[in-house]
Amino acid sequence: MKHVIAPLTLILLMAGTANAACYADYKAKRDAPLRLHYGVAEIEGDCTVANAESELADRVASDEWELLAVVSVFDEDGLEERRGNAGEFYLRY
Amino acid sequence: MPANSISAIEARRTGTRFVLLCIGGIIAILLIATAFLLFTLPDANAFNARVEQVFIENSDLTGQAELRLLEILAQSGTAFADTLAGYRMVITVLLVFATAMLVAAVAALVMLVLLNRRMAQIEHSGIQVNSLILSREEKTVYLNNMAFKLTEAAIETLSVLAEARMDDEMLNGAEIEGMISGRSSADCDEASGATRIKRLRDALGNQLMTELLVKNIARKGYVLAIDKSVIKIV
Repeated sequence: MKHVIAPLTLILLMAGTANAACYADYKAKRDAPLRLHYGVAEIEGDCTVANAESELADRVASDEWELLAVVSVFDEDGLEERRGNAGEFYLRY
Repeated sequence: MPANSISAIEARRTGTRFVLLCIGGIIAILLIATAFLLFTLPDANAFNARVEQVFIENSDLTGQAELRLLEILAQSGTAFADTLAGYRMVITVLLVFATAMLVAAVAALVMLVLLNRRMAQIEHSGIQVNSLILSREEKTVYLNNMAFKLTEAAIETLSVLAEARMDDEMLNGAEIEGMISGRSSADCDEASGATRIKRLRDALGNQLMTELLVKNIARKGYVLAIDKSVIKIV
């Protein structure tokens, strides 16, 4: 069974990327003491900054982060160059 | 001297009002300064907000190291805000001290002015009799603690006058003579009382004493021109 599921998920993933995957990089903060982070996250709905903002605000709020701004939205081509800066927040939320 | 004491009381009243006004003004200034101090100095959040703004506005400030640096900046700002809170406390305490000093200074100043006025009044009225102590046994009268030796008759005259002054009475010559000799004043001569007064004045220093102590009021009689509360007979 296992060797059937693994290729299946792989196919599903590839189907996802083929379906023009959308990512956004954003800035968030936490108060007292002030903590800042820059992260990259996948967006499920429309690939726009406005949609990214509404989606990410809820997701980062689950860890008590406050979304400050969405910098931009991009597809998987832009992922690699942002991996270093995002660090532990690369695709975390 | 009723006129003097009334003006002194008035001066004290206006002085009290002035002092209260000054102290009120000083306290109002302190309160305004304290409010200004507490509400206008930046709080800890001002630094965090500024750092946050820098972080949002600069799109290339995304590196890990840069973010840590921004956080450190915000923290040092917060630490400085703590220092500011300490300063605020110190300044408030200093303001309170300054107010206390100002209030004391104003009170002292007003007291000085009042004292000067009182001194001027005392200087104006010349020699003021603050105490008159009659001692029959020593045959001495103490005026402002200066001792004057008197004859038996003069002491009698003075004590009669002092008793009359304490009862707010005025005595004419005949009454004085009557009280001292023990006869009815109707049988006494006005002139013999006047003589007794003259001898008393002579013994004390005549004209000066006439003005300051043993006054003659026309058609009414003789009276001690001093406040009755200062008279003591021992």
